[in-house]
Amino acid sequence: MKSITLLFVYCVLSQHINPLSAGVYVPSLAAAAPLVLPAPPPTYFDDACVPAALQAVAPLLPTLAPALATTISTSIAAALPPLLESALPLVLTSVLTAAGPLLEAAAPCCNCICIQYSLMMSLKPRNVDFQETWANLKETVAGVVGLRSVERSVWNTRFSDVYALCVAQPEPLADKLYDETRNFLEEHVSGLLQRVKSNTSLESTDYTDGLLSRYVSAWREYSQGVAYLNSLYSYLNLQHVKRQKVSDAEIIYGSAATVSCAEHDARQLEVRNFRVRSPLALYQQLVLEPYLSAAASHHARFAAALLQQGDISHYMKHVLEGLEKEISLGHRFLHLSSLEAVRGCYERAAVAAHLPALHADIERLLREACEDHPHAEQRRNDLRRMYTLLKPLSGQGALKPLIEAAHAQAAREGHALLDAKHNKDEAHTHFVNAMLSLHGKYSKLFAEVFGGAQAFVGALDKACSAVVNSRGANESSRAPELLARYCDCLLRKRSSAGSDTDTDDKLAAAIVVFKYVDDKDVFQKYYARALARRLIHQLSASMEQEEAMINRLKAACGYEFTNKLHRMFTDVAVSADLNAKFQQHLRDNNLSTNTGFFIQVLQAGAWPLGGAMAPLAPPLQLERPARLFEQFYRASFSGRRLAWLHHLCTGELRTRYTPRVYHLAATTPQCALLLCFETVDSAPAKELRDTLQLNNETWGRHLKPLIEAGLLTAEGDVEGEGEGQCEGTLTLNLNFSCKRTKVRLTCANAPNQQGGSGGGSGSGSVNEGNECVHCDDDRKMYLQAAIVRIMKQRKVLRHTELIQEVVSQARSSFAPSVAMIKKCIEALIDKQYLERAVGTLDTYSYLA
Amino acid sequence: MSGEDCDTLDRGDNDGQKPDKMFTLKKWNAVAMWSWDVECDTCAICRVQVMDACLRCQGESKKDSYGKQDCVVVWGECNHSFHFCCMSLWVKQNNRCPLCQQEWSIQRMGK
Repeated sequence: MKSITLLFVYCVLSQHINPLSAGVYVPSLAAAAPLVLPAPPPTYFDDACVPAALQAVAPLLPTLAPALATTISTSIAAALPPLLESALPLVLTSVLTAAGPLLEAAAPCCNCICIQYSLMMSLKPRNVDFQETWANLKETVAGVVGLRSVERSVWNTRFSDVYALCVAQPEPLADKLYDETRNFLEEHVSGLLQRVKSNTSLESTDYTDGLLSRYVSAWREYSQGVAYLNSLYSYLNLQHVKRQKVSDAEIIYGSAATVSCAEHDARQLEVRNFRVRSPLALYQQLVLEPYLSAAASHHARFAAALLQQGDISHYMKHVLEGLEKEISLGHRFLHLSSLEAVRGCYERAAVAAHLPALHADIERLLREACEDHPHAEQRRNDLRRMYTLLKPLSGQGALKPLIEAAHAQAAREGHALLDAKHNKDEAHTHFVNAMLSLHGKYSKLFAEVFGGAQAFVGALDKACSAVVNSRGANESSRAPELLARYCDCLLRKRSSAGSDTDTDDKLAAAIVVFKYVDDKDVFQKYYARALARRLIHQLSASMEQEEAMINRLKAACGYEFTNKLHRMFTDVAVSADLNAKFQQHLRDNNLSTNTGFFIQVLQAGAWPLGGAMAPLAPPLQLERPARLFEQFYRASFSGRRLAWLHHLCTGELRTRYTPRVYHLAATTPQCALLLCFETVDSAPAKELRDTLQLNNETWGRHLKPLIEAGLLTAEGDVEGEGEGQCEGTLTLNLNFSCKRTKVRLTCANAPNQQGGSGGGSGSGSVNEGNECVHCDDDRKMYLQAAIVRIMKQRKVLRHTELIQEVVSQARSSFAPSVAMIKKCIEALIDKQYLERAVGTLDTYSYLA
Repeated sequence: MSGEDCDTLDRGDNDGQKPDKMFTLKKWNAVAMWSWDVECDTCAICRVQVMDACLRCQGESKKDSYGKQDCVVVWGECNHSFHFCCMSLWVKQNNRCPLCQQEWSIQRMGK
């Protein structure tokens, strides 16, 4: 059989096989089999070449195995029918197992050879005299375990002895062999123990007597010997013991076989558990535990002494050094797995036990680290050490005081920064700059000192948002307004133009602050209003910046938030296009507006312009372009209504009656009023008002700047305040003079305080208070919509969960109060969208 | 507001004598607002203002921000108006005006 194997190996090697050609030599192998089989055993082969050969073939074996199996079986079937039954599986296993452990070279090959031997001699179960065989075997086993040399032929014979015993008739002696071997090994080991002990007692404290080295050498010898023994007994292992072992499946599900032998199983399980779960139990019990308990008391003394010696910085510094020392000590002398325990032991003694002492100084350290303290740098190092020390104990809340103190410190400084003296007109820049410097400083500090740990970033966020949204009693936070004003100033045309990139950076930084603002909806209102003003009056420094800012807001708050801003922005672009088309239209039709005409057509609903669509009967000069444009617009679009927003229109007039030419920039009603004096030099106020069809309030607002600028002179009551009687007379000041040639009247009382979201509703000037009322209404709508959406999806929901979901939905826009949500729920119950679920107090259900 | 361009053209056309015109209007920056010419500014189908995109379009336009004009208004012969998107879905089920139950036929479309 061996020859077949080797022949095969030879074929393989000599032909540089690829697996596909296996079929070629398989027949030849079969033919050779009968010839080779009776060949004389051992000496025939050069043992040294076997491992090499097998090693070479190893990678091919998986592919070759099937072919090999058939070849071998057919060849054996042809050659030795009587041996077939018992031999075949054995041969196959030997060939195939040889493939696996090939790398270990010698031993498996010996196995292989041995099996061939026994095969040659006799594989048939036969009567074996146990005592005699065991006596021989025992001798060899003793040799093997003792690492003494064992002759190959003897080894081979013993190998077949093991086999013979296992398959002995009338009944297999495997169990007996197993027990005897165990007894032998036990004896052997106790012999070893004597050798290790030699003549010193275990209690001896003399560490240099070589006990450990004796132990190690005995252990090495034994484990190596046993490994060889394992090879010798491989048949027993393979066939007999394996069968007795309980498989995992049997352990879990039980089986008929295992039930009968509960004790045996229990023992096996125990062994298994021992090996799997605590391979180092002995080490832990004998070494680690005493070590740790000794270390603990040492550390405790060390820590206590250290505390006595100096302040907390001193303490932390040395404790950290000690920790490092301890860890490196553990690395050198202890098993790797115990490092955690060593560390934990140290931390318990040096950190956990003195937490109060560590915590006591946190506030002072933080304060000194943040302020311009002479020791700021040192304090920062202290804090870094503190964090390093406390971090491993964060599970027990050791970090909590540090986080809280960090939060308090940031908040305290933030409030101080905001309250610092500043120019009232510069409140917005002061606010944003203060917040940015706070955020920048603490982000850097926390990143530096606390490694940017999430908990501290969170604490900073919380502090920032508390500072940003801080409000006095009974007043709403000014943050949204200030921030919107800040953005407005940056985006406006300025005389001292900062560089574009500078502005971009500042705007990007404003977003940082914006993220902390709770009342984002209020911000949106302010921002939208400022944007409308910029766009309508063409005050924007750059449209790219405007768009970039809207996109930033969108990125922070989503599409919904910037929808209207986008639409406003689009309108401006569309208007530019429209103007070009209109001019083309005029040229095509030989028409003229007789004046420079530029129009912006805004869509209703997107612009926060209020509904002050003051009626005005425009004078001829204005009516012509307006009419032309209306015709053009109607032809270009269908189904649209156009309304003139005269209070937003501006005209530019030149005086022709004055020695110097003055350029007057004025609102449309003002232009119209001045144009009335084209034919007369003075007229009754009432008459003029009626001609223009202005109502009382707008009349007064537009008239006042004209009088204040000295363009018109008034006699008597011209503004019609009070009862609405305006009996006075207005006269054009023909002697008007002014230092500047450009007179801007729009700004005098531009109705830029117009409030209200969306077209139609809201009029008059809206102040801060109104702003909030408006937001409140919008918020209620938003909350109700959110509640209905949630309930529609969930059908039944508990009160607290509903509140949570609503809050999380609203967060991107504003921070709703629970009271307001409750009110909204009540309102929805009244409107029969919801009802309280029957029989419960705190559950709502949705009414479809 | 930005009438600088006119300055150079007309400078000095006033030479002290009594002008035939007191004022000239050099420039007019007009602002107008458009809205759909509808009787009711809410779409009865989706309950959203017709000036805004309908609910469905609002949901979808999260992808692209511009192009509001896509969601136009449609008027029926009965002069009731809805979002075109809403109405085209509605007529698939019921070819009558949801408000007056008249047979639906389009009078005009917004543009």
